[in-house]
Amino acid sequence: MNILEVDSLQTYYGKSHILHGISFHVGEGEIVTLLGRNGAGKTTTLRSLMGLTRAREGSVRLFGADTTAWPPYRIAAAGVGYVPEGRRIFANLTVEENLKVPLERPGPWTPDRVYELFPRLRERRFNKGRQLSGGEQEMLAIARSLMLNPRFLLLDEPSQGLAPMIVQEVFNVIVGMRAQGISVLLVEQNVRAAVAIADRACVLDDGRMVFEGAAAEFAADEARVRALAGASAERWEAA
Amino acid sequence: MTQLFLFNVFNGLIIGAFYALMALGLSLILNLSGVINFAHGGFLAVGGYLAYTLMPFIGFWGALAVAPLLTALIGLLVEFVLIRRLYGRDPLYSLLLTFGLAFILEDGTRYIWGAATVPFDIPDWMTTALSDQFFFLTGYRLFMVLLVFAAVAALFLLLNKTRLGLRIRAGSGDLETVSALGVNVRVLRNLNFGLGIYMAGLAGVLAAGMLGLQPTIGSALIMPSFIAIIVGGLGSLPGTLLGGLLIGVASGVVTVFFPSASEAVIYVMMGVVLLVRPRGLLGEEGRVQ
Ligand SMILES: Nc1ncnc2c1ncn2[C@@H]1O[C@H](COP(=O)(O)OP(=O)(O)OP(=O)(O)O)[C@@H](O)[C@H]1O
Ligand SMILES: [Mg+2]
Repeated sequence: MNILEVDSLQTYYGKSHILHGISFHVGEGEIVTLLGRNGAGKTTTLRSLMGLTRAREGSVRLFGADTTAWPPYRIAAAGVGYVPEGRRIFANLTVEENLKVPLERPGPWTPDRVYELFPRLRERRFNKGRQLSGGEQEMLAIARSLMLNPRFLLLDEPSQGLAPMIVQEVFNVIVGMRAQGISVLLVEQNVRAAVAIADRACVLDDGRMVFEGAAAEFAADEARVRALAGASAERWEAA
Repeated sequence: MTQLFLFNVFNGLIIGAFYALMALGLSLILNLSGVINFAHGGFLAVGGYLAYTLMPFIGFWGALAVAPLLTALIGLLVEFVLIRRLYGRDPLYSLLLTFGLAFILEDGTRYIWGAATVPFDIPDWMTTALSDQFFFLTGYRLFMVLLVFAAVAALFLLLNKTRLGLRIRAGSGDLETVSALGVNVRVLRNLNFGLGIYMAGLAGVLAAGMLGLQPTIGSALIMPSFIAIIVGGLGSLPGTLLGGLLIGVASGVVTVFFPSASEAVIYVMMGVVLLVRPRGLLGEEGRVQ
């Protein structure tokens, strides 16, 4: 069964038409990476899935239910964890307090278990969110989404602004999620790191889906990377 | 002279405690929902009158416990029926709505309970001074200050130690992310509004015991409470508490030396704070607007 099925999604911000009928799916236990240049509509896609910017047309099905018109809290309560662009840690709350904000669905993830995954966070649990480094904030954002015990995780550019070693650590955690049966939709600018761990890749350009296929197939086609992934192609070469 | 000075400082502390109680409720609602609740003083009056009506049946202590809760219940209802429709719109809408609501509450209490000041009976032992030297220190006034501090302490415990409180604090910075983490923010805002109104109701009962009751009892407190928020720093609840106490005590002290300036001093303090430290005493950086 597919965890997520998106059909002909159209999303607007007021009058600006951003998503022009995109369709894709995420299967159970898959990591799918959603790529595309700046402004292609990746964040908007995640926001539509989460119910934060409701799609005007088309449909979103999560775990078999039509969630297109659901409010965000209901979508989260169904088991979707969300790690937003820029992390959006609660800056005036401590690490420990940040972990108490999400709805707690029953499951294996507890603060202790999350601290085992990210020992750094345990050390800093009494520090405020604003005192954390970028890498620590990213860990906290992932940890926070795990408190919900998600079946499906949406990650928006987790590698943004992180040192290569930290990126590797974060991506290892994402692979670990898949091993525990959590499906993942990973939005990334860091194409190389993303396709290395993903099962499949989708590429957005100007609000349209221009590629959907095996991650390995995409990774092999360097011309395509250059043509479609835009700015991220430079990183591809630099990396 | 010392006596007069202490008398006015203590008076200022009492007034400041009221400002703080009002301002904390206003702050909670403003921070989470972006609504400036001009009707807060109206809810204060409702709290006082409800206590007045209930007292013959359940006594002073019963009324003190029940009336703020009933006021909060009315607050929950008002939020549910009216206020929530205006979230996310231009703040002008909610401003006009709560402004109108303030008139409705004031005239409503006048219609039901009359315009004249009604006496509010507190237990006898509370009305006598604790000592001859400190004639102004009645049991009731001392009790009032202690209760306000207990209520404020309870509020801060709730905000720091309970899940509801943490979500209110988190949502005051980023409500959207709170909703994406599975929290029903409609319910959160509703409860938060009720919490703010509870404190207005409590302030109403306490104020009634000191001043007696009239429909306009809340209007005198509302402007200084807004100023307490600005002086303390927008977005900071500890700041709001500090701001309330500070302007209360300042106006008390000024009364000793220059009685006619006791109200002006509040505005002067606001002006000085805004000039020297635009974000307020404990305000966060980047929340100046
Ligand atoms: N709140 C908004 N109001 C209006 N337009 C917006 C808004 N947010 C984004 N846009 C526009 O929508 C388009 C898609 O933005 P989106 O954030 O989804 O892109 P993205 O693929 O996530 O880009 P990036 O890689 O830079 O994060 C862009 O042209 C952007 O300018
Ligand atoms: Mg984006």
